[in-house]
Amino acid sequence: MNEQSTAMHAPDLPELSAYLDGELDAGERGRVAIHLAACPTCAACLADLQALSAGFRALPEETLGFDLAGVIEGRLAAAPRPASARRRRDWWAGLPVAVGAAASIAAGVFMGSALVTGSVATAPRMAALHVFDTMPPGSLCIGLESCYAKGGVK
Amino acid sequence: MAGDAESELVARAQAGDHRAFAALVRQYQDRVFRFILRLTGTRDEAMDLTQETFMKAHQALPGWRPEAQFRTWLFRIAHNAALDVLRRRQHVEFVSFADLPAGAEEHALPDPARQPDERLADRQSVELLERTLRELPAEHREILLLRELEEMSYTEIAATLGIAEGTVKSRIARARSAALAGYQRHTGEHRDE
Ligand SMILES: [Zn+2]
Repeated sequence: MNEQSTAMHAPDLPELSAYLDGELDAGERGRVAIHLAACPTCAACLADLQALSAGFRALPEETLGFDLAGVIEGRLAAAPRPASARRRRDWWAGLPVAVGAAASIAAGVFMGSALVTGSVATAPRMAALHVFDTMPPGSLCIGLESCYAKGGVK
Repeated sequence: MAGDAESELVARAQAGDHRAFAALVRQYQDRVFRFILRLTGTRDEAMDLTQETFMKAHQALPGWRPEAQFRTWLFRIAHNAALDVLRRRQHVEFVSFADLPAGAEEHALPDPARQPDERLADRQSVELLERTLRELPAEHREILLLRELEEMSYTEIAATLGIAEGTVKSRIARARSAALAGYQRHTGEHRDE
């Protein structure tokens, strides 16, 4: 029975990977643990996954190298139209989605031009703001349901 | 930062407190930068995109609700910004962002005869691992960054990428399989069986 259950519950890679991440429920975790104790192949595979994970975590951490927060704060303070949360909310609430997206583009373009103080970076930055243009309305972060954790966060 | 303190900051930022927003930026600027840099690969572009991400986040603040985790919400904006840049570079792997068809769902187990754990520790291995990561399709790279560097749970990754948790599980496994294969290919160039 023991041997049989060991053979039956051979985990696939997603299961081993989720086991490593602590993302299996108690029952699954127990079954995988039992199998790992009896199966050198899967144990070696898990060791590979662990080593990979450790390797990624050991990668050097790049840093920005300056205080972006200060820059952003300055830009927000200098903005001619201070963001009034209430007014903005009213805008979005009252507008159909397509118009909302257009407003995003307008705001984005404004953002882009406020950003640039005469540098070569203009074109790519402006182009990047077309993200609002090319994405379906559902992709906009504003009010998107999937941006919100739906509970059960570990 | 504790969740409550952070939500309080976001709420203040929402009410127009620029200093509170700056505190949030300071908390996340390096992490967002790192994420975008490893996705796009160029430092200058990553710096621009990081700034743009925070400006977009500020713009989108009215839509933030207290149930949202600020980090996943912010990384979703960063993800969208980076994705757009990669699309414009015509990175085909990001255009076909959907998961592979059913036939490709089989996961080959990595070869246990290899022992990457002994090699990952040294400096040369770090370089090979960096190279491996760069060569991965962006959607694999991205999900590994969120899992391994940001240490997000599957629930958080699902919220960040806008995909189902089951997809997170299978995509992470596929990404790890591809990374191991890539890494073993690189190290295998110098060692024959
Ligand atoms: Zn096994």
